[in-house]
Amino acid sequence: MVDEAHRAEDRSEVRLGSSDDHPLLPLVARGLQFGINGRRIINDVSFWIGSSGRTVILGPNGAGKSVMLRLCHGLLQPTSGEIRWGELSVARAREQQAMASQHPVLLRRTVTGNLLHVLRVKGVPKAERQALVDAALQQAGLAGLGSRAARTLSGGQQQRLAIARAFVLKPAVLLLDEPTANLDPAAVRGVEELIGAIGAAGTKILMTTHDIAQARRLAADVMFLNDGRLLEHAPAAEFFTAPKDPAAARFLAGELPD
Amino acid sequence: MIDASFRVCTGMPQLRRAARQLALFVAGLALAAGAAHAETQGITVASTTSTQNSGLFDYLLPKFAADTGIEVRVVAVGTGQAIRIATNGDADVLLVHHPASERKFVADGFGLARHPVMHNDFVLVGPADDPAGIRGTGDIAAALRSIGEREQVFVSRGDDSGTHKKELELWGAAAFDPSPASGAWYRESGSGMGATLNVASAMAGYTLTDRASWVSFGNKGELEILVEGDTRLHNPYAAIVVNPDRHPHVHAGEAQAFVDWLISARGQAAIAAYRVDGQQLFFPDVVAAVED
Repeated sequence: MVDEAHRAEDRSEVRLGSSDDHPLLPLVARGLQFGINGRRIINDVSFWIGSSGRTVILGPNGAGKSVMLRLCHGLLQPTSGEIRWGELSVARAREQQAMASQHPVLLRRTVTGNLLHVLRVKGVPKAERQALVDAALQQAGLAGLGSRAARTLSGGQQQRLAIARAFVLKPAVLLLDEPTANLDPAAVRGVEELIGAIGAAGTKILMTTHDIAQARRLAADVMFLNDGRLLEHAPAAEFFTAPKDPAAARFLAGELPD
Repeated sequence: MIDASFRVCTGMPQLRRAARQLALFVAGLALAAGAAHAETQGITVASTTSTQNSGLFDYLLPKFAADTGIEVRVVAVGTGQAIRIATNGDADVLLVHHPASERKFVADGFGLARHPVMHNDFVLVGPADDPAGIRGTGDIAAALRSIGEREQVFVSRGDDSGTHKKELELWGAAAFDPSPASGAWYRESGSGMGATLNVASAMAGYTLTDRASWVSFGNKGELEILVEGDTRLHNPYAAIVVNPDRHPHVHAGEAQAFVDWLISARGQAAIAAYRVDGQQLFFPDVVAAVED
């Protein structure tokens, strides 16, 4: 039995509310320019990111990847051009984002203290904090290390803590700037696993790297940046097997300066 | 059960009448209380128009009623509205196909647990001569990218439906934004699946459709299924009992019985046995299809 009248096949379904979709997508940029002292660091970049998969901004050092990420997060203002996250301006969207960069900046507190600090600052009710801390430690593979001084952790552990701290407030988007640049291979693996778990839980990951192998492991889609220009944006499968841009092909072949 | 035959030890008519009124009142209370535990009142399931239009409920619900005596009313609306209905406690069960929203529904405490029930899939149909050259590829993102780069006609629902959202996600996976081409090769019908397929047929263009709509579409013309099977084309359905702690009037026991039946061997076999034009439309997720 159907209470609602049988809808004609032609009737549209009701619009899904924005809370059902990813609130910050698509990320759209048009004609972005950014320069310092007359030097163009980001040069006429436009893109559309509509997927909730892990997007990797790949390119050689000096390409402008970090600046690109900071523009997306609102830490820098473009000289011209515009960026929007879904319906939101960059400033509004920032409240639902968190960023972790290459060098983990940890407080002179314990591991737990670093996580509690963020929760306290954001006004999370005291009764809820410990459970969130415990879950974060578990997910980051730091269970049992809660009372250690954060700055005594290994490099990999510190970076996982920094990322867990970024993620403990469950942002819609997690931006990561070269998250494993200073780590040994085992530590890289630990961080990548954490990134994978966070992305699988529905958080949009936008990260930069110059490491081709890492991009292969993590990317759903790749944005290739070189010398301030976005040269190609393609699904990972396509980018790594048949890049259309010649500079991208040279970079993948190891021929562009790293 | 109330003992309605209590006696009044008085001969006075007023007292007898008052006693009768009291007996009726108490009996009425007992019936009201007993109704929740006695014969079934039935449940309301909030689901989607596409699921209803497939005919699956017309097939399944009589079987469930025969097994349990529980009557099921289906409210079939868009996915977003079904979720709102369940959030408001105006349904006992939510059965939709949008995992992200379902997980949020449970995480926010409106549902008890998410039970995967069945899946069907979307397929990409297009003209037999396939100018985009995508026939047989297992990669839906690559196929859409080909269509976009070669500017071949693609017809979109364009109506913010679940199917439309799925299509946009897939363009996202393709890292290709079709919206600048709206009105050119990217045509938005703003209508349901039937109308959209008709436009695709008339224009010999490509479109994304759920398989059930395709099977029952009578105007295929030159169109054929060109891409299928990519896991990103999977369309998974899950059932969730609305949380009685949030909405005490929910018939939680009967709602749970419905969900339990759907994921039981009997329910899963019934889902697998449903055919339209000899084609299986839904594939059980819990139990491998029972051989007959």
